[in-house]
This record gives sequence, C-alpha cells and structure tokens, in this order.
Amino acid sequence: MSIFLSYTVVGIVAGCVYALIATGLVVTYNTTGIFNFAHGAIAMLSAYSFWQLWQGWHLNAVLSLVIVLLGLAPAFGLVVERVLMRPIRGAPIDLTLVVTLGLLLFLVGVANLKWNPNQVRNLPAFFNGSGFRLGYVLVTYHEVAAVVATIAIAIGLRLLFNRTRTGVAMRAVVDNADLLAMAGGRPVRVQQLAWALSCSLAAIAGILLAPIARLDILLLTLLVVDGYAAAVIGRLRSLPLAVGGAMAIGLGQHYLGGYLTSGFLSRIQYVIPMIVLFFVLILLPQDRLKSASFAGAVAPRVAGFKSSAVWALVLVAATALLSLNLSGPNLRTAASGFILALVLLSLMLLTGYGGMVSICQMTFVGLGAVVMGHVASGGSLLGVAAAVAACGAAGFILALPTLKMRGLYLGLATFAFAAVMDQAFFTQVFGTGGSLAISRPRIPGIPTQSDQAFLILCSVVFAVAAVVVLAVRRSSFGRRLVAVNDSPAACATLGVNVNVTKLVVFTASAALCGLAGALYGGVTHQVGAFDFAALLSLVVLLLARVGGINTATGVLLGAFTFALFPIFVPHLPSFLQSQFLLTGLAAVSVGRDPNGIGGRIADAAAKLREMFGFSPKPAFTSTGTVTGTAAAVFLEEEGRLVSAGH
Amino acid sequence: MSAPATESSAAVAERRDPHAVLEVVDVSVRFGGINALTDVRLSARDGQITGLIGPNGAGKTTLFNVITGLQEPTNGRVYIADGDVSGLPPYKRARLGVARTFQRLEVFGSLSVFENVLAAAEFRHSWSDDDTPPRQVAAEIVDRVGLSTVSEERVDALPTGLARLVELGRSLATRPRLLLLDEVGSGLNHDETAALGDLMVDLVRDGTAILLVEHDVELVMRVCDRIFVLDFGQIIASGTPAQIQKNPAVQAAYLGADTHAAEGEPA
Repeated sequence: MSIFLSYTVVGIVAGCVYALIATGLVVTYNTTGIFNFAHGAIAMLSAYSFWQLWQGWHLNAVLSLVIVLLGLAPAFGLVVERVLMRPIRGAPIDLTLVVTLGLLLFLVGVANLKWNPNQVRNLPAFFNGSGFRLGYVLVTYHEVAAVVATIAIAIGLRLLFNRTRTGVAMRAVVDNADLLAMAGGRPVRVQQLAWALSCSLAAIAGILLAPIARLDILLLTLLVVDGYAAAVIGRLRSLPLAVGGAMAIGLGQHYLGGYLTSGFLSRIQYVIPMIVLFFVLILLPQDRLKSASFAGAVAPRVAGFKSSAVWALVLVAATALLSLNLSGPNLRTAASGFILALVLLSLMLLTGYGGMVSICQMTFVGLGAVVMGHVASGGSLLGVAAAVAACGAAGFILALPTLKMRGLYLGLATFAFAAVMDQAFFTQVFGTGGSLAISRPRIPGIPTQSDQAFLILCSVVFAVAAVVVLAVRRSSFGRRLVAVNDSPAACATLGVNVNVTKLVVFTASAALCGLAGALYGGVTHQVGAFDFAALLSLVVLLLARVGGINTATGVLLGAFTFALFPIFVPHLPSFLQSQFLLTGLAAVSVGRDPNGIGGRIADAAAKLREMFGFSPKPAFTSTGTVTGTAAAVFLEEEGRLVSAGH
Repeated sequence: MSAPATESSAAVAERRDPHAVLEVVDVSVRFGGINALTDVRLSARDGQITGLIGPNGAGKTTLFNVITGLQEPTNGRVYIADGDVSGLPPYKRARLGVARTFQRLEVFGSLSVFENVLAAAEFRHSWSDDDTPPRQVAAEIVDRVGLSTVSEERVDALPTGLARLVELGRSLATRPRLLLLDEVGSGLNHDETAALGDLMVDLVRDGTAILLVEHDVELVMRVCDRIFVLDFGQIIASGTPAQIQKNPAVQAAYLGADTHAAEGEPA
C-alpha cells in the first residue's frame, strides 16, 4: 500500500509538471494558432537561468525565482513574439513548425555554449528537500509546491479565459485578429500577453522539474517535450482536458514504471508520454480533405534530365579530383556530407514534393545502419539491399496509421516515433553508450574500402539518387505527388487514391534513408545510439529547409554546411561555435523562405540564363486566336496587378 | 417534377427516376445543430444540363460534396448510373464517371495549366482501359476550354476566372459521364460566358450529364433543361426554366422573403 502511495505521489507531481507544460502550450496555441515546439527549450533555459542566479551568483532563492518568472521569462516571450512570431502570424503550419523547431535548436545551442554540458550542475529542490511523512511515504515540500502551483495556475487561467475581457479577447484573437481590432480589442497586446504568460508557465515547469530530474540541457528539454502529449489530449485547445490528460500520463507512467521493474517493458516507462502522444494523434479526428494553403513562394524549375545528369557527373568528377588532396579525416567528413545529403534528398521527395513533414528520418537511417551491421558483417551488397528493404517496410508500417495526418500532427507523430525508437530500439540494440561495428560495402571489382574510394562511392550514390529523384519529379508520378500536395480533394475527385500515393512516397523516402544508413556506418566503421537521436531528425529537417527542400543543389548545400562544420569551427567567433545554434539561427531566418538557399540559387541561375539569352521558354504573348479572350483577361489582370504595385 | 417528399419514411429511400445518371434520395446533412441539407431529392439525366440554383449558403456546394463523396451525409443515399455509391470513397465515385469543379478553387497551383490537365488525363489513364496517350488528351482539352495561350503558365499565377477554366479542363480530362460544375462561369466576361455555355451544350450533345451551379441566371435559363432550386437546405421548386421563372416560392427566395410562409411547407 505504501509503495502504491509513493508511486501515486510521484505520479501526481509528474502530472502537475506535464499540466503546467501543456497549459503553456495551449495558451499560445489558443491565442496565436502557433504550436510552439520550442516550449521545452524555453523551460530548460529558464531552469538554467534560475540555477545561474541562485547557485551561480548566490542570489536569494526567492529573488532569483521572481527575476526568472516575472522578469526574464516574460521578457523573453515578448522578444520571441516581436522578432519571430508576429511576422509569421497566419502563415502555413509548415512555416511555423520550422520557425519554432529552429528556435528550439537555437536555444539548445545557446545553453550548450553558456553552460558546458560536461560539467555537472545541481539545482537543489526548494525547502532543502525537506518534507513530511504520509504514512511511510516522504512527501517533500517541493512536491507540495508543485501541486499547489499547478492548482493555483489552473484556477487562475480558467478565471482569466472565462471571466475577464482580456481572456475573452485572447480566445477571440486567433479566429480573427482584424475583427477583434475593429471591435476595439488590441490583438498585438493580447498576443504579447499570451507569449509572456506562456514563457512564464514554461519557466515554472522547468524550475520545478529540474531538481526532480536532473539539470541537463537535452534531458530537460526532452522531458518537457513529453508534456506536449497532454496538450494534444486537450486538442491544443481545452485546458481542463489537457490537465486531466497530464495527470493520467503522470500517474500511468509511474505506476507502470514502478510495477514493471525488469525487462523490455520497464524501458517503456520513459517513453510512455510519447507513446500516448502517438496514439492520441491517431485517434484524434483529422481535418477532412482540404487544400494545402498556398505558400506564396513559387517552387524553382525542376532540372531536366540532361542538365541534372551533367551536374551529377561534374559533382562526381570534382569529388574525385578533390579527394586526391584531402587527408583521411577530411575524406571521411566529406563522405558523411554526401550521406547526409542523401538523407536530405529523402526529405526533398517526401516534404519538398509530397508536402509531408517527417521528424524521424534519422531513425530510418539508424535502422538501415543496424540492419547493415547485422545482415552483412562483411559489408556485402546484400546488407545494403536488406537495409533499404527494412527501412522501406518500416516506413510503410509507420505511414499506415499516419496517412490521414497533415502538417503539425504528422510532425508530432513522427517525432514521437523517433523518440520512442531512441529508447525502445536503439538503446536496446547498442546498449547504453555502446556501439556497433559496421563495414563499408564491398562491390566486386570496384575499390570501396579506402577513405578516398569510399568518398567517391558516396558521391556516386548521391549523384545517382539525385538524378533519379529529379526524374521521378518530372514523371507522371511526380505530377501526381505535387497534385496530391496541392489539392488532395481535387485528386480524390479525379479518381486518385490519395492514401496509396502517400504510402508509396513515404515508403520510398524511408528506403532512401535506409540506403544512407547502409553507408553511414562505413564512415567511422561504427555507430552508436546518439548518431540517430530524435533531435538529429529535427536538425535534418531544418537543414533541408535552410538549404532548400526542392532543389538538389539546396540539399547538397544544407548537408555540406553542416557536415563541414567541424572544419569551419576554429575560424568562427566563439559565440557561433555550436552546430545546433547555427542551424537554429539559419532555420528561423533563411528557413522562412520555403525554397531556401537552393531556391535563391535557382532564381539567380534563371536570371543569368535570361541575361545571356538561354531563357527556357519565350515570354508570354497574346496571340489573338480564338482563345485570345481568355489570355486577354490574364493580361488585363496582370496589368492591374502591376499598376496596383506602383 | 414534384416538390420534395414531406414525409421522411423510415424505410430505405426509393429511387423515382431510374433513367437518371445521378439520383440523390432524401439526403440530409447536419453540422452540429445546423441543418445544411434537409431531405434533398434531385436527379440528373444523360444528355441534359440540370441547373441547381439558390441563394448563397443554400447548401449547393455541400450537396456537391455529398455527391462526390467528400462529405458524408447524415442520412440519405446517392445513386450514380445504376449503383448505390453512398458508402464509396471519392476516388471510386470518380472512376464511375463523376467529375467536378470547385467553387473555392482546388487547382494544382504549382503545376502549369497544361500539367494540370495532363495530370488528370494521366490519372484516368491509370485507372481506365482507355489507351489514348494522356498528352494528346490534355492538348485537345486545353485547346477546347480556350487556355492554349496560357498553357505553360503556373496556375497559381492565373486570375480566378482562368483558374476555373483549368478546373473545367481538368475534370473533362477524366471524360466524365456526370459533370458537376460549381460556379465555373464566375470571373469570366460576357463573351467567355457565352463560349462556356456553348461548350456545355456541346458536352451534353455527346451524352454527358451536367449538374450546374451558377449565379448567372441568364446562362442558367439559356442552357438548362431542368432546374432545381435550393433554399435553406431544402429543394423548394423544380421544373423547366419557364416554370421556375414563374414560381412564386423561387421569387420569394431570391427577394429574401420568408420562403416557408410563401411555400406553406412545414418548417
């Protein structure tokens, strides 16, 4: 009985922390329509700031708490609202996802720079960890504080939203900010308030959580991400449902963890919130088929077969030439760049063309690497084929329940999958901190084992894959893919089984990751669990966006910028020496352009072609034939647009 | 044609027009507490243009969504050709020969005009046994709907009127037996509307059945063989254009009077 009681106490406390996290998310989603993926990082940063003030600079605990909760956190919320969120109000979900994911990564990077993660820090519990006895169970005052704070906040928020003018305005602003403005409300002020409040809520959650868990940048961030499940139970809208869901998850997690002390199921304890998240997303009613919102930006022209083949040859030749002058480590770095580019290419197919977000590509890469390592310890081509097949199958199975999801929900579901695989698969396969030896694939008659040969092999594989993906885009299947992305409803009424199309592309994309995985282990001949952590899938998605998710150039650029980072580092100012920080920074800036850097290069190339008279098609002219009337309307509209612009 | 049945029978709804390529029987749709459609009965025949008119918000687009399978009705059934399609997903209905345009545009914005039509022709190629090369089909249709001069333009750069023609061309590329047109003429000028009317007349001469939602009353009266009038989710009248023009309930609906009082129907 006392054991049950102690699990109940711990479960309730965990539930309270999840509830605080979830309410913070619901507040911003309800008022701005933006799901703030960075919430976990804000909580983590707040906990570290609190540690810095209290333990680092020896300020009074209460004063430190006040400074963080009422000063730093809301101020940070205001900055985030002004700099990042206000410009993307009403933007497609795809864009808000990239910006908030970028912010998450950026903040993790900042924390890594400021607080060296290798140094152990300890954030003591409040009241020196003292408490009282409830039967045989020690209940700390810290835990009591967590429960009291949660209850007070839940009641306070309920009153705010239902009883005050400001609260009603907060609920109204997401539906129509302009209408609220006309009715005398101040939408900007309301949204500022929402972000400030949400950041304070994140701060409370982080500060309460850190002493219970551990003051660790990644751990803390991901623990807070666990709380997202509760918010999704509340459909990101309902505070009572979110709080109820949080309690259920917290209690369930600790009962299960407490009574299943051995075996595979005990590992599951840590990923229960993510498993819940995954299944709740499947059960949630989804939007009916409707059109994707116009992103506004025009996708770059798709390269023709001839030009893509020529560029592919140039790329391989240049790599071969360059490889003569590179040292061993640099050869391996370059090879890893091509492998990463292959992963980004899988996102070009899935997200760039198909419009489906995935935050689990590195999980597939890891699966491919594991299969490669086990099926062919000698590195035979059979292993490569098995890796591709296994990942294709895994992609197929994951796609089945997630087919109906779009945008944010699909992003969350794939992220949950990646997080579960981290704990339930990779740590099992590798053992904690362990690794698996993997050989480079052997091809009869072709040298692939030296660093130089392996680099050239990787460049060839990428080049061929890129030419194939571009050819797919130009094919009738490519048109179907783009059509399904642009308007699933129209496709369905034209006889297309939209689900089959999505299934095919998800499978193909995962299989491509499997190919990357088969090569991945060859770089350093071994892989470990951290190589495929869920967070890296997020990095990969952002890199694809920054480089440009619908051009092979962009993909290559994104991958190499990241892969070559260790080579740049010594030349960068110290505050930029974090891969996460830079990627995040790039995502929230360049990543807003759906075509990324690659798109800009394509634009510039198109301009150059025009300048030198290689324009691929003649400028549009009205011919005055039978069909001229339609064209005339077009010209007239164009004229109006032009004149309106002046 | 009779007014809609006022008694809602518990038995399975019966067809009354076995020759119709489309028959909607006692379809109701409720969104929360709102009755978007109530016991709607409607049919369309091969070789005829059937008009569906009514004020904004009457439920015309919802009815199109029910027919194409994008919206599941609360009750009622939909028959296409000889079969009951009520449980079928949209793509299977399309393969039976139903195509439509959308009032709120659903074009493939990142493809060119030609590619929009080509994609549809390729879709049909993949599920029918018609071996005509899709490119040939697409080229003919782009020409037929009058978009040759803009065929290489990306559709999201086109004005709305032309984008509607793209949707028309796209639906024609599946060679539909039943074509549902949702305000396809809005955004076109007078000459283009006339050309559109001629095109529709051509299509039904080839045997296609058209169900036309259109605000241009002149066009509707000119091309339609039969007209159904929808108001507040109910069919308040049906008949030939001449009958509809004289119908007091229709006039009341369009002038905004209380139709239920005018028609004397149960609320």
